[in-house]
Amino acid sequence: MCAVRNCPIPICRASDDPHLLMTTVSNENEIVDFVAVARESRTPFEIVGGGTRRGAGKPMLGEGKPLPVLDVSGLTGIVEYQPEELIITARPGTSLAELKAVLAEKNQCLGFDPVAWSLFGATGKPTLGGAASADASGSGRLRYGPPRDSLLGFRAVNGFGQAFRGGAKVVKNVTGFDLPKLMCGSFGTLGVLSELTFRVYPRASHRVTLMLRDQNPEKGFAALRTIWKSALEPSGLAYIPASADLSLGDVGPENIGGGAALIRFEAAQTVLAEKIAATKTLIGDVTLLEQGEAIFAAIGEGALFKASDLDVWRLSVPPSEAARVANALNAPLWLGDWAGGLLWIGAEAQDAPRIRAQAQQAGGHAMLLRAPAIRRAALGIFPPQSPALVAVTASVKAAFDPLGLFNPGRL
Amino acid sequence: MLFAPPDPEILSRRDVIIASLKTIVPDGVVEAPSDLSAYESDALPSYRQRPLVAVLPKSAEQVCAILRYAAQAGVPIVPRGAGTSLSGGALPRADGILIGMGRMSRILEIDYENRCVTLEPGVTNAAITRAVEAEGFYYAPDPSSQIACTIGGNIAENSGGLHCLKYGLTTNNLMGVKFVLPGGEMITLGGKAHASAGLDLLGLITGSEGLLGMVVEATVRIIRKAPVTRTMLASFDAVPDAGACVAAIIGDGVVPAAMEFMDRKTIGAVEAYNAPGYPADAEAILIIDADGTEAEVADAMARIKIHVEACKGRLREATETKARAKMWQGRKAAFAAMGRLQPDMICMDGTIPRHALPRVLEGIAAMSEQYGLGCCNVFHAGDGNLHPLIIFDAMKPGELDKAEAFGADILRLCVKVGGVLTGEHGVGIEKRDLMTEMFSEADLDQQHRVKCAFDSGGLFNPGKVFPTLAACVEQGHMHVRGAQLPHPHLPRF
Repeated sequence: MCAVRNCPIPICRASDDPHLLMTTVSNENEIVDFVAVARESRTPFEIVGGGTRRGAGKPMLGEGKPLPVLDVSGLTGIVEYQPEELIITARPGTSLAELKAVLAEKNQCLGFDPVAWSLFGATGKPTLGGAASADASGSGRLRYGPPRDSLLGFRAVNGFGQAFRGGAKVVKNVTGFDLPKLMCGSFGTLGVLSELTFRVYPRASHRVTLMLRDQNPEKGFAALRTIWKSALEPSGLAYIPASADLSLGDVGPENIGGGAALIRFEAAQTVLAEKIAATKTLIGDVTLLEQGEAIFAAIGEGALFKASDLDVWRLSVPPSEAARVANALNAPLWLGDWAGGLLWIGAEAQDAPRIRAQAQQAGGHAMLLRAPAIRRAALGIFPPQSPALVAVTASVKAAFDPLGLFNPGRL
Repeated sequence: MLFAPPDPEILSRRDVIIASLKTIVPDGVVEAPSDLSAYESDALPSYRQRPLVAVLPKSAEQVCAILRYAAQAGVPIVPRGAGTSLSGGALPRADGILIGMGRMSRILEIDYENRCVTLEPGVTNAAITRAVEAEGFYYAPDPSSQIACTIGGNIAENSGGLHCLKYGLTTNNLMGVKFVLPGGEMITLGGKAHASAGLDLLGLITGSEGLLGMVVEATVRIIRKAPVTRTMLASFDAVPDAGACVAAIIGDGVVPAAMEFMDRKTIGAVEAYNAPGYPADAEAILIIDADGTEAEVADAMARIKIHVEACKGRLREATETKARAKMWQGRKAAFAAMGRLQPDMICMDGTIPRHALPRVLEGIAAMSEQYGLGCCNVFHAGDGNLHPLIIFDAMKPGELDKAEAFGADILRLCVKVGGVLTGEHGVGIEKRDLMTEMFSEADLDQQHRVKCAFDSGGLFNPGKVFPTLAACVEQGHMHVRGAQLPHPHLPRF
């Protein structure tokens, strides 16, 4: 039995090397020691934090048996938090829940709206390191950008066994290469993180979610773009088609009619009133939703897909293409976020080529988020890239991890 | 010595190299020494070097062909936009090809529905806003050289401006590029879609100071102009009060569009220069812009007012464009005003944690005594980016050396309090040898390997950013002689 806490993999057998079977580390020096052993024995390993996203990414190259695991969930704690500097430094195993609570005390938040991707059904505690490594951000990303826009600095151990830093602990810095950008969305393939410094944002005192009901995808996404192009700075712009049942009271099928455009604002109360009035002027009569926060949380988590066994795709497309792509795919289960810049699509296995082609035609790409391992292995999580891009990506990867020790093959 | 000496073997091939480049860009090869002198420095004029040859491509295909040729021929490359770098990023090499991107200056597509503009790298920063402002949009990063600097250079340097804290640097407003690798192959990174597929190489190449390849096309995000902007001027009797006020405003969740700090010496200098009407008895002032909708601005101003008063400051407000401009005119003339005090000036560019401001200003004052040179301080208070301006007279023997040592000491202090060498000007040639102050050997090794992943031949902008054994010069500034900035028509703030 795998010793990783809350490991979602039911059977996780021992590797032959007992030293590397499952190692728990609690500080950077222990990571350095571990990587030295792995280097010596040329043993690739899997990096696991809360274990909630292990179903994402390509299956790792373990030659038929599970890889040894480096458990970093013990690397916890907030190292430094200076609200007036708008920065927080924490170890990667720190749970998102703890971090959010600490920030909320000072009326601050992480700008990238981290999500746990509960659609995987894992029961562990989602961590900061996991969210950044997987580029897992929710609807709020629309306003403050993805994790890469917030990660100012980090410490990590590379495949040479060296602890190093990238970036810094100030909000404005152009000294040297911007390595923090690379770490976000790298799925742990460049190094073992030991510390992360994020820029934080003020958390507004009030929030409101508005619904424009009975909109087909063309009209619904057009309304969302109208708000996105305005100066109103929304923090969520999602579209729920008539077919999607989020099982949340006021966006149930009986309420949304032909589909609903959802608009979220976060601001002081006096400011919200102005934004609501401006929204009505721009797109017509909207209603206030009671359960707006729960709805946006469900959207970011991919909760719509939790109970289904469809493959789940995330299509990044130019917002103006969202309705066309959604209509063309006519998927049994889907919704849109980020003003149409993101389409969550649930589809049957045989639809994969069509989905990739539609996303590409629209000028975007389709990421395969959830599917059985065999399909993730065959399709890759991202579409094939040009040979030049494949080559330079491999060179960059090798610059951090020449022996291919970290999460081999996952990206 | 800044660079390793030029490679005589490359110098001996100059005629062949020129002929080869002419087959690629028949109408865009600059070879006459008098013509090449236009390229011998950027906005860091204390460093000058005439390039072997300059080539001015007009298309991405020509850039690819030039880079393919340079790789085969083993000739170094220095990319150049408008040459407004304050860190010597576009300083040529005697044995290198300078590639000027000024002729690739077309705006290719404006897409309001997806809030983006696709353009060639030679388009100026300000031209982007000009192209979209009739529809109520603008491009947010606003380096002070924005009327001249190009988007290609902005991407290479990850340029900032006065409004970074709220609207981000170039990297936060760049959606995609077409990028030519050192071998001449073109890759596409990002685009009109929000998320990247695979490693975020777009983030890596942004701010890579021309060491990894060349941008030949970019897609940038445009933003709806805020309907309301108001300006406030807060004055304080003590620097720590001003610092505490900045912390209180930010800690309260207000993110001003801009928040600028000036110390007593700067206030005095600008008052003598263009009389903006700043309080003459203040030890420090803050100029603050709040933007947004009517209610947002009203909310922000109300809260700022509370904090200014709590920190024993006095507040003035300006609503009309003219009154706002008056409040800003002293700040925007700070560099020029310094030129009245002494003939020469160097401008530092560290970022510090804001709470360290009083300590750093005390440290700078002590160094000023120690070196016997004046120093005024302006500070992007919102994001902690400090611009100390050291004034001196280079005609006095030893004074330039002293000023440079003073500057390096300031940057060391910035790093010591948890800050960085450069917040927006870049490392380039001038801060290269201070990199070891901030980064360990392992840190620099990792960055160096990333460089090698793109450019194994080391042909791209060699000698920049990373310290070499060949040079150990204490540098870290922008040098201004006779109050004449390198690009005198550009405001610098």
